[in-house]
Amino acid sequence: MTSFDLVEPETLEDAFKWLGVDDSSVRPFGGGTALMLMMKAQLFTPVRLVSLRKLGRQFEGIERSSNDGSFRIGAMTTFSQLEHSPEIRAHLPVITQTMKTLANVRVRNVATVGGNLAHGDPHLDLPPVWMALDASATIVNSSGTRTIPVGDIFSGYYETTLEQGDLIAELRVPVRPGWRSRYIKVTTRAEHDWPALGIGLSLHAEGRVIKDLRIVLSAAIDKPTRLIGAENVLRGKEIDDALLKRAGEAAADETHIETDNRGSAPYKKHLLRVHIARAVSALVTE
Amino acid sequence: MTTPRTIRFKLNGRSVSADIMPHETIVDMLTQRFDLKGARESCGQGLCGCCTVNIDGMAVSGCLSLAWFLDGKDVQTIEGVANGATLDPVQQAFIEAGAFQCGFCTPGFIMMVRQLLDLHPDPTEDQMRHFLTGNLCRCSAYPEIIDAVKIAVAKRAELAHLVA
Amino acid sequence: MDAVTASPNIGRSIPRLEANDKVTGRIEYIHHLRLPGMLYGKIFRSNVPHARIKSVDVSAAEAVEGVFQVVTIDDIRKVIPHPYYGPAFHDQPILADGKVRFAGEPVAVVLATDKRIAEQAAALIVAEYEDLPGVFDEVDAMTSQTLVHDELKPAATFPDLQHLKGRKGTNIALDYHLVRGDVEEGFAKADHVFEHVFRTQQVMHTPMEPFVSVADAQDGSVTLHTASQGPSFVRIEIARLLGLPENRVRVRVPHLGGGFGGKLYIKLEALVTALSMVARRPVKIALTMEEQFFMVTRHPCTFTIKSGVNKDGRIIARHCEVVWNGGAYADIGPRVTQKAGFTSAGPYDIENVLIDSYAVYTNRPPCGALRGFGAPQTAWAYECHTDMIAEALGLDKIEFRRMNILREGRPQASGTPMVDAAVEQAMDHTLDLMNWKLPFDRGSGKIRRGRGVAIGFKGITAPTTSVAIVNLYGDGSCALYIGTVDMGQGSDTVMAQIAAEVLNIDPAAIKIIHPDTDVTPYDMGTLGSRSTYHMGTAVRLAAEDAKAKIAALAAELGLPEGTNAPLAELLRRKYGMQAGNIIGTGSFIPDYQKPDTKTGQTIKGTPFWGVGASGAEVEVDTETGHFTITKLVNVADVGTAINPKMVLQQLSGAAIMQLGFTTTENMVFRDGQLTNGSLADYKIPNLLDMPREFINDYTQSRQKDGPFGAKGAGESTTIALSPAIGNAIADAIGLFLPDLPITPESIFRALQDANGTPLAGE
Repeated sequence: MTSFDLVEPETLEDAFKWLGVDDSSVRPFGGGTALMLMMKAQLFTPVRLVSLRKLGRQFEGIERSSNDGSFRIGAMTTFSQLEHSPEIRAHLPVITQTMKTLANVRVRNVATVGGNLAHGDPHLDLPPVWMALDASATIVNSSGTRTIPVGDIFSGYYETTLEQGDLIAELRVPVRPGWRSRYIKVTTRAEHDWPALGIGLSLHAEGRVIKDLRIVLSAAIDKPTRLIGAENVLRGKEIDDALLKRAGEAAADETHIETDNRGSAPYKKHLLRVHIARAVSALVTE
Repeated sequence: MTTPRTIRFKLNGRSVSADIMPHETIVDMLTQRFDLKGARESCGQGLCGCCTVNIDGMAVSGCLSLAWFLDGKDVQTIEGVANGATLDPVQQAFIEAGAFQCGFCTPGFIMMVRQLLDLHPDPTEDQMRHFLTGNLCRCSAYPEIIDAVKIAVAKRAELAHLVA
Repeated sequence: MDAVTASPNIGRSIPRLEANDKVTGRIEYIHHLRLPGMLYGKIFRSNVPHARIKSVDVSAAEAVEGVFQVVTIDDIRKVIPHPYYGPAFHDQPILADGKVRFAGEPVAVVLATDKRIAEQAAALIVAEYEDLPGVFDEVDAMTSQTLVHDELKPAATFPDLQHLKGRKGTNIALDYHLVRGDVEEGFAKADHVFEHVFRTQQVMHTPMEPFVSVADAQDGSVTLHTASQGPSFVRIEIARLLGLPENRVRVRVPHLGGGFGGKLYIKLEALVTALSMVARRPVKIALTMEEQFFMVTRHPCTFTIKSGVNKDGRIIARHCEVVWNGGAYADIGPRVTQKAGFTSAGPYDIENVLIDSYAVYTNRPPCGALRGFGAPQTAWAYECHTDMIAEALGLDKIEFRRMNILREGRPQASGTPMVDAAVEQAMDHTLDLMNWKLPFDRGSGKIRRGRGVAIGFKGITAPTTSVAIVNLYGDGSCALYIGTVDMGQGSDTVMAQIAAEVLNIDPAAIKIIHPDTDVTPYDMGTLGSRSTYHMGTAVRLAAEDAKAKIAALAAELGLPEGTNAPLAELLRRKYGMQAGNIIGTGSFIPDYQKPDTKTGQTIKGTPFWGVGASGAEVEVDTETGHFTITKLVNVADVGTAINPKMVLQQLSGAAIMQLGFTTTENMVFRDGQLTNGSLADYKIPNLLDMPREFINDYTQSRQKDGPFGAKGAGESTTIALSPAIGNAIADAIGLFLPDLPITPESIFRALQDANGTPLAGE
């Protein structure tokens, strides 16, 4: 690893000053897990890292709105803070469930919600879950603030729509009465591995009829992506084996899956069909 | 030009300081500046746990963490776990269970088991396995490590009882 | 219970002598060593698998502040005129010499006072290559026009390789043959003939302490501090390279953070020695986990096995053709080819056997020894083949084995009789632990359950020597000087138990003097399950020698025979104060008869037999191919268990390692480039991969000529494990998978093929 400058601004204004140069080797540094890996592999050679650790309130905390029950989660919130939050466990249990197999304890103790999204790695577990939950991200820069759906952060394989000087400040996650959610992590080599596919699934059902749903696929494709085709097959319908099969087919048809060391494209498409059917069925009958 | 800064922190209960460059990892700092050998870099990717250290009560991978941020923190390594010549209950449990062969991963496992038992004093076997997935033992002393966790649970409970 | 197991030190599970230092993190590994003035070396590696080197531009790297020097083969040749090394062939250049033969081969080294600077500078080196066609598959390499080496260069140390000297125009480094009876006649007579082809994948040792060596060369001598399993071999090979007598080369080895056969023979030692000579400073090279994939690996292999079987189930003829992918440099591959070739017909009593085993060069990272010397790869083939034949003939798989099993006293294919080899007992004990006779739930719907058993054996590298010294001091305390490297297997503790048993002292009070060739005597190496038997015997002999000297001293002092006067008292009487030593020595080389070069026949081809049996129960989700190993049983013949708890841990650890080689581990190459060379993408087992039920045990047996009845056990449970799982999967889904690793996708593809709806390729 080559050396670099490390600054720890205490105000957003200072942070923007440090970050506001047209140089991609100047980057914000949250928990730092992903950047450290890239730096050690000499894939990223920073000139300056701007630590977000001292930015304070807007970047921290897990709070629940007294109005609509939605969550505000600061971007510097660590995964283990999420994992051990009783509020999250009570109202967004899918997050707690996802944490169980997400990386490992030490990574969860350090990695942050915002850094995880800014990395743009399609294999990460949380982005499809946030998208299934219909979460949005608040992004700040020197000229203002904007709020976008989490899915709009990702533009391609390790690519995001974030510009130099943008910082993810917080997430807003609605709590939708009647909705149930689940993350399906499908591994194909060892039990504990990067997913061959990740499926974030969230749905609102009455009996066996699906009123509404969101299905998000990750890992097998270049960025976490909503499976609109499969959603359309299922929305408003009463599930049975034939319908689930059709949904699986729609999902396989609408995605471009690449072969990698975790499986061939045809095999992963097959897994997608099977696991969408199984997950929807399990969640409806939960 | 990149310049060092002086950080001050607690290392195994003692106040220390070091002049640190921004790029220095915790494990490099501990081995090179403090001659501590218990945290070891192996996989270099935070997956094997050989470099585990504890910062303000949280286990982290010393190979993926910058020493720069230790200023003001309380750092514990395997060297600070025993009380003089008296081993920590988790260390004793590892010996009793024979929970290691080559010993290279052992300090990391012990540090993780200590955090596990701090969070869950009486963990289920499923909790043990999931909590320790980020630690690799190529000699594969895994069954004995699970035995060691169970022994450590009992030893800690006994100690708590004595204190109470 | 016999007298041996009732003894005070044998059969006792004392904790490891070094347990305290391991749990406190204070134990010594070379990983941590820093010498005054030491430079760190960072290797610049080739990024092409086979090419001529046109140029290596090191100027940018040399310009980096803090860089001491950048070294290429041209610099090394100035200090070592013929810079080629290797245990079987002198085929490996210390740094690439005009040509690179695998992607990842060391081409240059940056030396710097700071390892980070060395790493940064190495990234600035630019090499230009003229690409050559590559050959990667072992079967292709047998006939390919692409040659990895222009000429074979066998080492002078092995007389049986001399005929290969100067051979050109081939990638076959070594061919080994065994002939027993007439296999063609056997096939002609047989009622049924079966032929199957099996393949295994390339995998890596992955010790948690990555390879590391430090050299400190002076004029006319060199000291090596190295994480090596074979200090004596390192000394001899470095002495040869430098043209020095052995006594000018000192090799020191403390504890190892795992080895598994990887840290054998000579690895980084030649390079750091050369660098230290060039720089005239101590030099350390410590590989990263990623770099270990380019050091040494386990041979992939293609095994064609053909058997003639009579209708009553007797196997009467077997032909084994085994092709070992040795990668770019032979390392100890020729020995793997011979040793695993030797037992490749399996532990069966077959009248007509022909074995052809070939070591071939390819443009992959080199392959060497890995916990079994090839035996696990061959057992994968012969034990899956066993079940396939039984299945085809409608025979009970256990009874079919029992009908053909090699029983005590019967000659193995080489003619060497099976002595103290509990093959059938290991199988029977496995069956008991599997509850084989109880009804078995075969699952329903998409979930299918199955179970399988396999047996295997291996010969032990022969003939090899171990020498030990027992030193008793003036106060009666004891030190043991041995070249055996404790890399986690527990040899320090077991050797202390053996010495303690003879000398009637407390094993925990014995000090082990770790390998230091200035002090400790010769040992061939810590490898191939040999230490307990070979070094254990040498230690026993050394202790007995010391005991005889104590008795002689007592007699000299006029004490009655059988006196129980303590040694300290005897020495004080002799020397008038606390002074003097009693030094016992022991040297051991087992009986051996060199096999006939044409037929491989010998009446003593191995000092003892390694024996293992495994059983597995699996559950397969036939809709996805995902499978779970619900139960895994391993039984080995360890002779007498000197330290029962530690030997069980060895059996368990070896089994889990082989479980990785069976299911999760696979070095994946595309166009000769490794695509998954890190622990993020090369998955070794962790706690979640443990089978739900996991039982390891040993047979009640005795190796009569071993120390207190013991034999080696470090590899025994690697042998039969893969086919036990493969057979269990086959039992569950009705289909045999010929290739390792077994993955959910390979299972699903097999199911789809059988259904007539094959899954498309990539």
